[in-house]
Amino acid sequence: MNGDLAYLGLAEAAELIRGKKLSPVEYATALLARIERHDGEYNAFIALTPERALSAARAAESEIAAGRWRGPFHGVPYALKDIIDVEGLQTTAHSKILIGNIARRHAVVTERLEAAGGVLLGKLSTHEFAIGGPSFDLPWPPARNPWNRDHFCGGSSSGSGAGLAAGFFPAALGTDTGGSIRNPASMCGITGMKPTYGRVSRRGVAPLAFSLDHIGPMTRNVRDNALMLQVVAGHDPSDPGSADESVPDYGALLGRGVRGLRIGVIRHFYTSDVAGDPEQVTALDAAVNLLAEAGAETSEIVLPALEDFSACGQIILAAEAYAVHEQWLKERPQDYGARARERLLAGAKLRAVDYVQAVRWRRELRERVSAAFADIDLAITASSMDPACRIDDDAALAANYWRQARMPFNVTGQPGLVIPAGFSRSGLPLSLQLVGHPFGEALLYRVAHFYEDATGWTKRHPPQLSD
Amino acid sequence: MTKELRDKARTLGLDRLTDEHLTQFERAATGMERHLQRLPRGMPAAQEPAHVYRAKGELQ
Repeated sequence: MNGDLAYLGLAEAAELIRGKKLSPVEYATALLARIERHDGEYNAFIALTPERALSAARAAESEIAAGRWRGPFHGVPYALKDIIDVEGLQTTAHSKILIGNIARRHAVVTERLEAAGGVLLGKLSTHEFAIGGPSFDLPWPPARNPWNRDHFCGGSSSGSGAGLAAGFFPAALGTDTGGSIRNPASMCGITGMKPTYGRVSRRGVAPLAFSLDHIGPMTRNVRDNALMLQVVAGHDPSDPGSADESVPDYGALLGRGVRGLRIGVIRHFYTSDVAGDPEQVTALDAAVNLLAEAGAETSEIVLPALEDFSACGQIILAAEAYAVHEQWLKERPQDYGARARERLLAGAKLRAVDYVQAVRWRRELRERVSAAFADIDLAITASSMDPACRIDDDAALAANYWRQARMPFNVTGQPGLVIPAGFSRSGLPLSLQLVGHPFGEALLYRVAHFYEDATGWTKRHPPQLSD
Repeated sequence: MTKELRDKARTLGLDRLTDEHLTQFERAATGMERHLQRLPRGMPAAQEPAHVYRAKGELQ
């Protein structure tokens, strides 16, 4: 290939497929061949499902030829983080604990993507149970960063980020409990949306922490991300956290620019609460200037300290995750990798009162953020404080858990969209995060699309993967 | 590995942890302690938690 097909976007592919200028079978075949050729270096996939993919692609091709085009996802390849159920396939959560765990039915998000005519290529690497990684002591190796395979690709939706940057598929789903969509988006230079809590059904997705878990789209550009959210968003009565809110047209505001929008800049997160890497801070400042020059009204806003969100979120996460894993930790502790086991054991000694106080504190933090957002339409801040560290640098990997500004919006449940914001001198992606009011995803897409168009960062791909 | 730590783990039902696991347990607990120190303890008595239960729809 055909680098052209490898980095074809979902929206572009959809137009070509609809116009019968691109065959879903040829598209899937080309991507499967690329994965076979390169994934030994990047480990994005845990399980590739080529027969299933080609069968779905053939069915899509026949339907479209017969005039039954279902929409932009029809005949388009995608992949799923391996904590999301697909009927008849193993859901391993990248863990020895779940080997042989065959899903009996689709997750709701899988149902929706399949109903839209998507072509599933396979299941993707994750940090074990979406909490601990990268790990070299699991049945599958960790995913690697396509911009430099000696570097961390972020997590926990690591295969989703790596596979998109490597040109293996145009769309994937990730999950985000403390930043696990937005971290690989930052590290791999792709686009990742953590939608509002309750926007996307969690049924059929292995839980990490019930009140912090979100599922969301990961793509290489903003328009594609909006298209994928359109497919998976919506109320699900079988998910007790699902929001019964109408789903807007997520692409409706694209192309409208940013003039007149009030954008709050949460600068203290990356300058004083944590000192961001100078290249990352410069990229964020440049993004704010660009938006202001284009007519947005930018002003700094102040939220509670980043460390407060981190503490509140980590206590809740540890308690809820321990509730999920207690029995396995008692019976099969040796079957976890070291990183996940250590992170999960953090919940063992927590007292009930600690959890309740954290949940009371959460409400207070949410109210303070809500007040700070009262006079703005959206906010901009950092996602990661640094470009990707080396995958063998244990100290930097540990710092990755607190040198970030993602957990605040798991605590508040607001949507957070991460997009590329340039590159470091060493050629690694930099990023920014846009944060909205609850259910304000469409406005985030509008601003991100403007920025993407103005800068062109998403047009760059890892040079060693240009074949 | 201290006997105290092993006893603590046993009390929690974690009696299959090896010495290596207990070291991880200790490190995890130390890390969590830093978060717990930031937890406000003087919140007003009536301050409700997030996600207050509502029997929405069930009484209709």
